[in-house]
Amino acid sequence: MYPKGLQRRNVLRMAAQGFGAVALESMLQRELGAKPRSNPLAAKAPHFPAKAKSVIFLFMVGAPGQMDTFDPKPGLARYAGKPLPESFGKISSQFTSGDTPILPSPWEFKRYGQSGLPVSSLYPHLSKCVDDICFVRNFYTESVVHAPAMYQVQSGRILMGYPSMGSWVTYGLGSESENLPAYVVMPQPEGTPEGGTPMWSSGFLPAIHQGTTLRGGPNPVLNLKLPEGMTPQRQRRTLDFLQKMNDLDTEETDTEMAARISSYELAFRMQSHAPEAVDFTKESDATRKLYGLDQKPTQEFGARCLLARRLVERGVRFVQLFSGGGPVSIQWDAHKDLKQNHEKMCGLTDQPIAALLQDLKSRGLLDSTLVIWGSEFGRLPMSQSGNGRDHNPHGFTMWFAGGGVKGGQAIGDTDDFGLYGVGDRYHMRDFHSTILHALGLDQHKLWYLHNGRHEKLTDFGGKVIEKVFA
Amino acid sequence: MRRNLLLLAAPLLIAATLTERDAAFIGKRRSYWTFQKPVRPEPPKLAGFSNPVDAFLVEALYSKGLSYSAPISKEKLIRRVTLDVTGLPPTPAEVEAFVKDKSPNAYEKLVDRLMASKHYGERWGLRWLDLVRYADTNGFELDAERTHAWRYRDYVINAFNSGKTYDRFIQEQLAGDEMWPGDNDALIATGFLRAGQEHIVGGNQDEEMNRQEVLTEMTTVTGSALLGMTIQCARCHNHKFDPIPQSDHYRLQAVFANTVGDELALVPKQAQQTSLDAAKAHDKKLQPFKAQVKEIDEPYRLKLVEERKKGIDPALLAAFDIPNEKRTPEQERLAKEAKDQMTPAWDDVVAALPADVKAKRYAIRKQMHEVDLDEPEPFAAAYAVANAKKPADTHILKVGDHKSKLDLVPAGLPQVIVDPAAEFPQGLSGRRTALAQWLTSKDNPVTARVMVNRIWQLRFGTGIVATANDFGTLGARPTNQKLIDWLAVEFMDRGWDIRSIDRLLLLSVAYRQSSTYDEAKAKIDGDNKFYWRANKRRLEGEAIRDSILAVSGALNSKMGGRGVKIPIEPEIYELIFTEGETDNLWPLPVDRTEINRRSIYLLNKRSVRLPMMANFDQPDTITSCAMRSTSTHALQALTLMNSSFMQEQSKLFAQRLERECNGKQACMIDASYRLTLGRLPSAVERKMVIEFSKGEQKLSDYCLAMLNRNEFVYVP
Repeated sequence: MYPKGLQRRNVLRMAAQGFGAVALESMLQRELGAKPRSNPLAAKAPHFPAKAKSVIFLFMVGAPGQMDTFDPKPGLARYAGKPLPESFGKISSQFTSGDTPILPSPWEFKRYGQSGLPVSSLYPHLSKCVDDICFVRNFYTESVVHAPAMYQVQSGRILMGYPSMGSWVTYGLGSESENLPAYVVMPQPEGTPEGGTPMWSSGFLPAIHQGTTLRGGPNPVLNLKLPEGMTPQRQRRTLDFLQKMNDLDTEETDTEMAARISSYELAFRMQSHAPEAVDFTKESDATRKLYGLDQKPTQEFGARCLLARRLVERGVRFVQLFSGGGPVSIQWDAHKDLKQNHEKMCGLTDQPIAALLQDLKSRGLLDSTLVIWGSEFGRLPMSQSGNGRDHNPHGFTMWFAGGGVKGGQAIGDTDDFGLYGVGDRYHMRDFHSTILHALGLDQHKLWYLHNGRHEKLTDFGGKVIEKVFA
Repeated sequence: MRRNLLLLAAPLLIAATLTERDAAFIGKRRSYWTFQKPVRPEPPKLAGFSNPVDAFLVEALYSKGLSYSAPISKEKLIRRVTLDVTGLPPTPAEVEAFVKDKSPNAYEKLVDRLMASKHYGERWGLRWLDLVRYADTNGFELDAERTHAWRYRDYVINAFNSGKTYDRFIQEQLAGDEMWPGDNDALIATGFLRAGQEHIVGGNQDEEMNRQEVLTEMTTVTGSALLGMTIQCARCHNHKFDPIPQSDHYRLQAVFANTVGDELALVPKQAQQTSLDAAKAHDKKLQPFKAQVKEIDEPYRLKLVEERKKGIDPALLAAFDIPNEKRTPEQERLAKEAKDQMTPAWDDVVAALPADVKAKRYAIRKQMHEVDLDEPEPFAAAYAVANAKKPADTHILKVGDHKSKLDLVPAGLPQVIVDPAAEFPQGLSGRRTALAQWLTSKDNPVTARVMVNRIWQLRFGTGIVATANDFGTLGARPTNQKLIDWLAVEFMDRGWDIRSIDRLLLLSVAYRQSSTYDEAKAKIDGDNKFYWRANKRRLEGEAIRDSILAVSGALNSKMGGRGVKIPIEPEIYELIFTEGETDNLWPLPVDRTEINRRSIYLLNKRSVRLPMMANFDQPDTITSCAMRSTSTHALQALTLMNSSFMQEQSKLFAQRLERECNGKQACMIDASYRLTLGRLPSAVERKMVIEFSKGEQKLSDYCLAMLNRNEFVYVP
């Protein structure tokens, strides 16, 4: 009754009992010839040649203070305990109303590297890398509340659920890896950022572009591990059987069904490759030490940074790490006790981030990997709860390294208080267009037609911060 | 009325100059096909095609040198139509009865039986909920559950099941409160206007911006879901492609200017009080547990406070020590700062507990959560809208920014269709009624076309207009305008009866074609725009899960009620955002048969997407989704092979086979094919199965493979 006439290909298949499906796969590939199996994530050429091939985005959840990290404001000391000058008007943040006194940074800044760029004492390790870093000090964003501001950094909108940057990038460039997800997300183990999973959603882009969360250990990707009681042999046989039946179900011309058959093989390959990717046993002691895997505070974030390098090495296009999430004590959201908070959070991340930059560089991967450090906004120069700071969307720092970025420079500035960006301020859409540019993607050509609109990451279009690459 | 007119004289005057500008902008584009009232074309007379749908299609096919494909087999036909109409596979008995029924109207009887099933509304409901981006939660960081939103979901399902006409359906959703005051159903229907995301968070809020977002959501969904027009493009500027000036977005928004969300009780005061008392009594039951936890925490908390005090500025502490009533405002501020600085967060306290104390604490909390499962249902209320007591103005906003107000605009309709000088109510009440009446008037050129196109898309996989939410110039042109116009007029003439048009499509010859590829025809029409064959379609994640439950026998087909939480993977649980304690974020229903409910009844939480759904392109409930994308990737395979849901279902399926066949292999093979694919295996397949079942392979492995087959997850 089915199928009426056995197709040649199917006969071939049936004769191939005992063949692994992988062999079948390659046979099929050859046979289809002109019509190779559609891989919707196949690597695509960028719009123009570019250095950066992949991205590692280090997202500091809850917002570090720019005047406490990379944007020194020595003038604040003179105003300690005094109100912000009246000329600023009323500065309303999420919890404060601008009437609290100025809080100078508790940390000292020194100049580092050949470039002599200033970094606060919070970053003893990262300060050694300033010559590879390009700081942009006058970003601004639209919301003073975490979740909408996070959505804006991630997707360009203050609304939830628009396609995230990583989704746009894999939509534009596909993946270099056949065996791993193209867009990998690694949240803080203690919890998720305020914006939750919509921060890495593919929105209206096909689900294949969604961020995949990945963790260390035996089950790095959801449902990757063999179910309890299942053996690899049994699963392989089940899969072979399934693929043979799927092949019976599939007309030769049906690319969608063929893609479905491929997806099972990719899943199977991922089962062996993903655990290998997260397995550090072959990393040298020196490398482990570099990332701080030998010390309690840096162990966790260090492992994720090392993982990021291993993923990029294996062709993963976009890796996103979140430092912070869940309970307030494990976020950068220092509404009170800024000193304790930032020292803790920097203690967790400083060495690993520096290690990542150094390691990428020594392996020759930094040129092709754009590393981004940033957050949803910055913090106010005024205090909250006496020794903390409220949110500041008006002017804050993010930085870039690798991927064609010219290091050892700081672009833009904030006012003497670190409150507002001055001069050419950069919106999140500028941030996005700059990142796309680094990858060889033209923000205006990277669109998707949805409900009658040419939707883009940068919506109305941003300005590429050319100086970053100069 | 007169007073209203006087009050609104000023904006209308401004509007006069504006409309001149707008009229120039619209210009000749007024003549685009979308804006012309459909006129009923005469169906071509073609021998053998009595259904006008076929006559139009075949006429177009012939003109291209194409023709229909052969009819699909009866076995596949019942599988196709059952999946299409109910979202579930046919049972073996249903297949057998249909195949055996040689009467000439066997198929018609089948369609009528399926359309009479309660699953009809569930199937349609899912489509409609996609359009209105329905979810059970607010979205954003807190993403709180909307306790009463589900009544709208049930309203939609019932509307399709009860044969509610489309004009009434629209009127209730836009203006049920105004048009049928006192009618609970009509009130619940207005949940349509509140189905989108809403940012609700503490702290200083820009209320005007939040309100603007709420209004944008109402305006956009009306444009996309009902008008099939991309009104949202005109939020910031005149539409780039369509004759929709920016003012139109705000004229439409002004229709909702007085509309506010509200939870409106559906039961009398007495019953409300009873529920409130029950809630209080329940809360009392939790108190002892809370007290015990507090007692455990207290010494550790105090110790932390003492430690922290040591590090606090003495000036602050001094202010803190002054009694409340004696503090100056400055001391008050300092005292608050001191308090903030000395107060540890919950996790600081928990981290300070010794392991055994911590275990005890969580054991008590666990008991508390168990008691909490008996939380009484709140009294019934509608997640609905009402009109505000005070009128609100609407301005055009420069690039959509509420801080840059431009001209004041009156409430009104798209100028490309309606003369802006035409009267439109400007009072507190009646604006939405007027919009609903205009949308459902027979003179409206858009509404009927948009809806018949949606019915078409549901049955044929692609719309006659491929962009079902965009009938504008950037959208697709109809592949067969005569057909869509005929359907639109017929739809209105049949009293906006959705089911009647739906039935017409299902009974067409076109619907019953095979989906087999044909190289010669594909050369002429590779995209199958003219429907020379049926389109194979992958089932949605919801239908895949429901089908699996049906095959394993676990499906609980109970209808309606609050969104159900089903077990989620620990990795997904971890991704639920909270700054608080994480031990009770996803309480499962006490009655475990609930977790086998149909997917449309599962709690749809905006920030927690279920992998089984999300991986199969379930829309994210953020923007209106007219047609789901179909992506194919490895995470789907991992979910369908390895998830605990699949493991459990394949075991249940295996048990079912053993039970029903007393473990006899031949019977089990037949039964498994009948259950999953609605047919018997071919000789080749049977041989393959027997071969496979040798060795250490388990029956459940086989069942898992069957549930993963292409043929199982595709509509034939």
